Formats: sequence, structure tokens, C-alpha cells
Amino acid sequence: MNTKQKWISRRIGAFVTGAAVSLLLSSATFAADVTTIKVLNWQPGGPKYWAALVEAFETKHPDIKVELETVPFDRYAEVQGPYIATRSGPDVMEQNAGLELFDRRMGYIELSDDVLAAGDDLLGRVGGCLGYDLSNACYGLPFGLQGNVMYYNKQVLSAAGLDPENPPTTWEDFGAACDAINAIDKTCLALGMTGPFPAYWSFPEIARNFLTEDDIRAILAGDMPWTDPKMVSILTAMAEIPQKGWSNSNAPSISMLPDATDIFASGNAGFAGTIIADAVNWAAFGEALGDENLGAMRWPAIVPEAPLAKSFSGVESSVFGVTSWSEKPEAAAEFVKFIAGVENGNLLTSLGGGIPLNSKVDPALFPKSEALSQIREIIAKPTIHVGVLLSGQEVDALARGWQEVALGRLTVEDWVGRMQVALEDSPGKN
Amino acid sequence: MESPHMNLRRSESPKRRGSRQAGIWLIALLVAPAIILAVTFKLVPLVRVVWMSFQKTQGFYEPSFAGLANYEAIFRDPMFITSFRNAFMVFLSLPVWVFLPLIIAILLFQRTPGWKAFRAIYFLPYMIAPVVVGIMFRQILAPDGPLNAMLIGSGLEGFAIEWLNGPNSALFALTAVALWSFFGLGVLTYLAGLSTVSQEVIEAARLDGAGFWRLLFNFALPLLKPVVGYWTVLCMSGMLIWMFPLVYAMTRGGPGSATMLPEYLVFITTFEFLNRGKGAAIGIALFIFVAVISTFVVRQMYRDGRGKSQ
Repeated sequence: MNTKQKWISRRIGAFVTGAAVSLLLSSATFAADVTTIKVLNWQPGGPKYWAALVEAFETKHPDIKVELETVPFDRYAEVQGPYIATRSGPDVMEQNAGLELFDRRMGYIELSDDVLAAGDDLLGRVGGCLGYDLSNACYGLPFGLQGNVMYYNKQVLSAAGLDPENPPTTWEDFGAACDAINAIDKTCLALGMTGPFPAYWSFPEIARNFLTEDDIRAILAGDMPWTDPKMVSILTAMAEIPQKGWSNSNAPSISMLPDATDIFASGNAGFAGTIIADAVNWAAFGEALGDENLGAMRWPAIVPEAPLAKSFSGVESSVFGVTSWSEKPEAAAEFVKFIAGVENGNLLTSLGGGIPLNSKVDPALFPKSEALSQIREIIAKPTIHVGVLLSGQEVDALARGWQEVALGRLTVEDWVGRMQVALEDSPGKN
Repeated sequence: MESPHMNLRRSESPKRRGSRQAGIWLIALLVAPAIILAVTFKLVPLVRVVWMSFQKTQGFYEPSFAGLANYEAIFRDPMFITSFRNAFMVFLSLPVWVFLPLIIAILLFQRTPGWKAFRAIYFLPYMIAPVVVGIMFRQILAPDGPLNAMLIGSGLEGFAIEWLNGPNSALFALTAVALWSFFGLGVLTYLAGLSTVSQEVIEAARLDGAGFWRLLFNFALPLLKPVVGYWTVLCMSGMLIWMFPLVYAMTRGGPGSATMLPEYLVFITTFEFLNRGKGAAIGIALFIFVAVISTFVVRQMYRDGRGKSQ
């Protein structure tokens, strides 16, 4: 190697060493400046919306990086439970508003006034506060409205000789429609009875026919026994659905999501009782069936004159809160504030197919869809969503009891007994 | 009068005694990690669970002492009774779990045509994660799934049922899937036992006119008795635990409580119902249940082993 070559090799060596040192230093600086928070969620609104949400948040907060741990909705409680039991894991968690949040509040910190102020533009945030009372401790902020509607497939209704523009509004009419749909070898109501779906998606729509808002508050407090005639009426009406052959025969062993919604999305069912936003909404069904073939309606009224029969079982979708064990509560709180903000509301509306709670969201962002327009009319008259006021024990007993009733192995009377035991065994209600 | 042992001890030289002590220390040193691990990860958690089972837990709040209340509660809970009844039903399939792998192992050991390929094929299901197996079979066993399509295609419409929807068929299907998933391990266990037997012995038995069943009952079973015992214990203690991921992925204990097994009940009681004390009490009941039934087989194995050594 001559002198020139030696000089060049020394220069290259120095350059490489310098570059390596700068890289190390910049990595160290990056590591010191960026806080990574982990967010446990079930991705309401879908992956596209969540990717945009994280990107928007990280752009606004370049010093915070978000890591998502996404779990299917019907497995959420089972994954979250061990985190709360061991008091370790994510910095931010998603939770259904209502009793589910109240029961698990040990996993969350009480949000400060500063964080709660980020929810000032929300049309409602009471479901994140203990006992549905804003004067109590609040553990989470919501971002969207959630609740139940029944979707219908106009093509199936037409094929069954029904008027697709006038779907059934009463229980009797619904029964007649089911007979017509069954006659063309289609399922009338796509139903899955496993997991939390019976409690969250079906039960509230039947319950509205028999309960007042005071009754619903009594359920939250644990003061409404399942032996009450009103509660017995609800279970009796639920039992009728499989007993009269309105639902698919395998309903007891499948889940609403994805199994039963697949039946509806594949065009094999006339109706499906799901939700207004998140995974199985008007957008997903519209994509599968064609927007022009999809309609949304209230569940048919069993007792049309009941005070809540024409209401919408609505709830602040889910709420996001800061975990009590988080070592990065400030960064986690920033995420919770962002969730409630208008920027996220706009994303939810335009990308997530959701109904935002933030009043500042631009209404022009709502996509064009007949089913969505129908939903926006239905949600105008909301009532308390009774499903999210059931305890874990009640949710489980409701689903298992319904399965056994559908299979003819349990009477409604015994189901009532089991529900009462579940209520008495519910820690949050005793 | 001095005992001969004392004389022996006296006659031991200091150098030898030192070397013996060093040996004891070395043994203790080598055994210590295993003991520490066993105490830390087996004994301590077990004691904690026992303690937790005497605690009253309200959600995830600090527990308080409850005495035997959780045990009284579980015996009043019909779901607890059902889960153990289901466990008992699963145990009734134990002979299949024990003998099916044995028969297959002997067929493979006899160098049946294609035995190398079959050996791999039989072991393959064991290598698939049980949750994946569960998800897979949820599709296969669906009313319009491939199994029913095959049955209908073969003219066996009567057998094309809603496997996971029927109260009895669901537990049967679940047990069959668990067997499919784990019997490869049994085949491998028996093959390991058979590897100590010379092929010539088999040939000799065949020349003497022994057919397959005679080979099985007069030759394989007596020779493999300890291995059969070992696999039986493993199945008895493992069956219920192995089935947890399948219950989780396929049925969630339903329809109703048709496939509810004790371990899944522990899981939902603890993490869905937030009742850790009751969950721990069910866990202890399961532990005792498995320990009691395994003890019979282990004692039998121990007796057999002693008989052989004498």
C-alpha cells in the first residue's frame, strides 16, 4: 500500500468512525426524547382509521410514539384481565363505557380537569364517569357514539315478496317477514349467541320495550332483580327469536362477529342486529351488499306504546383512559385528549364510518349512504344503553342461557333463576 | 459393643472424608438451581393460589380473608358441577387416548409400507399451536364446512350434523380434536419405548405365527407397560389442560355449558368475572381432582417398577 492509498484508507476509516459515532449519538438523543406509549384497543373504526389516527397524533406530538396492541372485541376482556390483575402492561386502554369501565376502574387513574377539558366539545361523556354522573370521578374520554340498529338486505326482502322500502316495525310484522324469508330458504335474522354480543347488541333492543329509564338506572345499581316481571318479559321475548325459527339454527354455537355478520354480509339473511359504528356497520355491509341494497332501522317494537320503544339505545362508544400503573401518564393523557378532539372526530367520520361525539366535526365529512342517513335519524332520540350496565357475570349468563333456551335445554324460568344468581354474584352491584 | 459402621467411619481417612464432603457440596450445588426453580415457579405460586382461594375479592380490589366461603360458593355453583361432570366425560375417552397411539406405534414399528411418511404425518398435528388447531377445526366442523360436505358427498347425510351446536356432539367433537392434536406425541412416546426392542424379536414372534393383535397384547403391552403407564399419567393430568386452548378457540365452553371444563372456568371466573378468590378455589379443586386420579396410576407404576427390580 503506497502513501496515497494509506491516506485514503485513513480518511475512509475516520469517516466511517465519525458516522458511526454520530449515528450512536443521534439514536441516544432520539431514545431520550421520544416517549413510547402502548395502547390496548380493539380498533373500532377499522385499521385504516387507526393508522391515520396514530399518524395524526404522532405528527402533532413528535415526542410521543404510539404502539398499538389490538385485540378482537370479543376477546378483549380476557386479554385485559391479566393486565389489570398484574397491574402492568399498556399505558392507555380502551373500555366500553358503563359498568364494564366502573368494574375495572382500578386499572385507570382518575382523569384530571385538564384532561377532561379536552372533552368540552363532546356531546356527551358521562359514560366515562362513575355511576353515569359527571360529578363523580371520570376515568375515560369517548370519541364516538355507539348503539344498536337492525340492518336489512333489500334484495332478500324483495325476493321474499316484502316491500324493501317499508321494513317491519312491529314484532308481529317481523314474524310475518321472517316466515316469508324462511320460505325462500334464507335466514331471517342472522344471529350469533356466544360472547358478549347477546348482552350488548340484542338484549338492549328487546329491553327498551319493557323498561323505563328509571328501571335502567335500577339495573345499574343492582336494584332490579331478574325475577321482576319486566325482566322476565325481556327474556321471554329473546327466547321467542330462536324458538319461532327466526334465527339461523347454529346461532347457539357461533358469534355475532364475525360468523353471524358473515351470514348477513354474504346475502343469506334478511336482517342483522348490530351496531351503528365500528367493525360491522353500514359501511362494511354497504361494501359487501351494495349501498343501494342496505337499509337501517330500529329493532321492531314489541310493545309499540312503551315509553322507550321508539328510542335509540345509545352510548358513548368506548372510552380511553390512562392506566394506573403507567410510568408515562403525561404522554398517555395526551393520547386520551387527542382521542376526544375534533381532529380525531374528523378522521372517525371520514375514514372510520363512525358517528363522532365532537360537536365541532364538519358534517360535510359524512359519507353518502342511505343507511347512514337512516341511522342519523334514528340516533336523534337516544336513551340509556342497558347492555353496558350488565356485569360480566350477567353478560355470560345471558349468552349461555340464551344458547340453552335456543337448544331447548333450558326453560325461561330457569334462565331467570340463573340471571338472578349472576346478579347476586356481581361484585359491582352488591 | 461398637457397630461395624462406626468402625468403618473411624477407619475413613481424613483425605477421603474431605473428598466425600466436597462431593456432597458439589451435588448440592448441582441440585440447587433445580430446587430453587421448583420452589420459585411451582411451590410459591401454588401456595399463593391456595392463599388466594381463602380470600374474598371484589373486582380487582384488595382482597380480604374469607375463610372457606369460596369453596362453599363453588360447590353451590351449577357451572362448577357441570365443568367437572364434563371433565369426567372427557376422562371416559382415556382408553382411546392410551391405545390408539399404541396401535399406530406398533404398526409403524413393524415397518408398515410408508411408515416413515406416516411417522411424520402423525406427529405433525402436535406441532401446530393448539389455538390454531381450534380455529382450523371451527371452520372444518361448521355446518357447511368441509367435514359435512365430505359426509354428504359420501352419502352419509345422517352424520352431517351441526357438530359444535349440539350439547353432546360439541364435547365429543372437542375431545376428538384434542385427540387428533395430541396423539402424535403418544405415538412418539411409544416409539421411543419400542426403540429398545430389537426388530429380530418381532420377526421371531411373526415366524411363530403371531398376528397383529397377538403382537399387541402378548408382546408389546407387557414390554411397554412402564411406557403405557407413563403415557396414561401424562394423559390424565394433561387432557384437561391441553383442551383449554381448544375450548378457548372453538366453543368458549358452550353451547350453554356443554363444553365448559374446569380450567376454562378458572379463566373466566378470574379474568371475566374478576373473582380471583373463587377462580383460585376452582383451580385448587382441579389440582386435587387431577392429583387424586393420577396418584392411582403412579402408585401402580411404582408397584410394577418395584416388582420388576425384585
